[in-house]
Amino acid sequence: MTDVGFVIAGWVITAVVLVGYWLSIVWRTHRAERTEQ
Amino acid sequence: MSDRLMAPVARRIVGVAALLALGALVAVGLFVAPPDAVQGDAQRLMYLHVPAAWLAYLAFGVTALGSALYLWPRTRSAVWDRVAGASAEIGVVFTGLTLLLGSLWGRPVWGVWWAWDARLVTTAVLFFLYLGYLALRRIPAALDVRAKRCAIAALIAFVDVPIVHFSVTWWRTLHQQATVFNPELDAKIQGTMALALWLGVLAFTLLYVYLLDHRYRLEVLDEDREERELEAAIADRVQGGTPSREAVGATS
Repeated sequence: MTDVGFVIAGWVITAVVLVGYWLSIVWRTHRAERTEQ
Repeated sequence: MSDRLMAPVARRIVGVAALLALGALVAVGLFVAPPDAVQGDAQRLMYLHVPAAWLAYLAFGVTALGSALYLWPRTRSAVWDRVAGASAEIGVVFTGLTLLLGSLWGRPVWGVWWAWDARLVTTAVLFFLYLGYLALRRIPAALDVRAKRCAIAALIAFVDVPIVHFSVTWWRTLHQQATVFNPELDAKIQGTMALALWLGVLAFTLLYVYLLDHRYRLEVLDEDREERELEAAIADRVQGGTPSREAVGATS
């Protein structure tokens, strides 16, 4: 893999991890709100 | 009891500012900053790796501060325990990212994915210490008992943060010395490369504040659920009847 390949992989992985973590908070909050009702 | 740390308007402003800063980071980090004279394009991974490491320090620092404020009788409040727990989880995510991005940078520049280097090993220890802290928070117990034991664990785990930071000066390491917060406090990065680095720090810090507010609310909801389950279990025990489904859920 070229340097650019590593760079693209790193930036894409970061985006996926951060968006995934954000979605996990949203999903867990939604689930907790549902059980509270 | 407020289930948020920020007012809705402030939350929205921080969210929009984080998005704008992330957009600017992508533009400057990938397209404006020039390739490094020695590392070439691989240097562009540093605009994420260094801010992620900074964020881990910040998040674990907030966890330590929240834990200390919880343990101090005059400032003891469940708010500090929730802030500590919420911040630790975000810190673990960013520490994981730091390790991952460092590995992706290490392969083209060092020629290896991993080295048994003081900085890398102490960072991996940090990651596992706080994973342990998060596991400790999931062990069922009365809220005040759990908060106290977790606060002590967080303060012990935080000892590793300065060890990680100073590992490159205390030991002979493969990892480079600090570029900005070195012993001479002489930043060894300029121009658009420095701009990309600072944009990364700003974007990740704003994102941290935004995530912390949302994660805090989840902490409040989880506590409410645990209290309801405990009350249901106690009511069942008092009545001596068959435990309800909710009470069974509390003990399983």
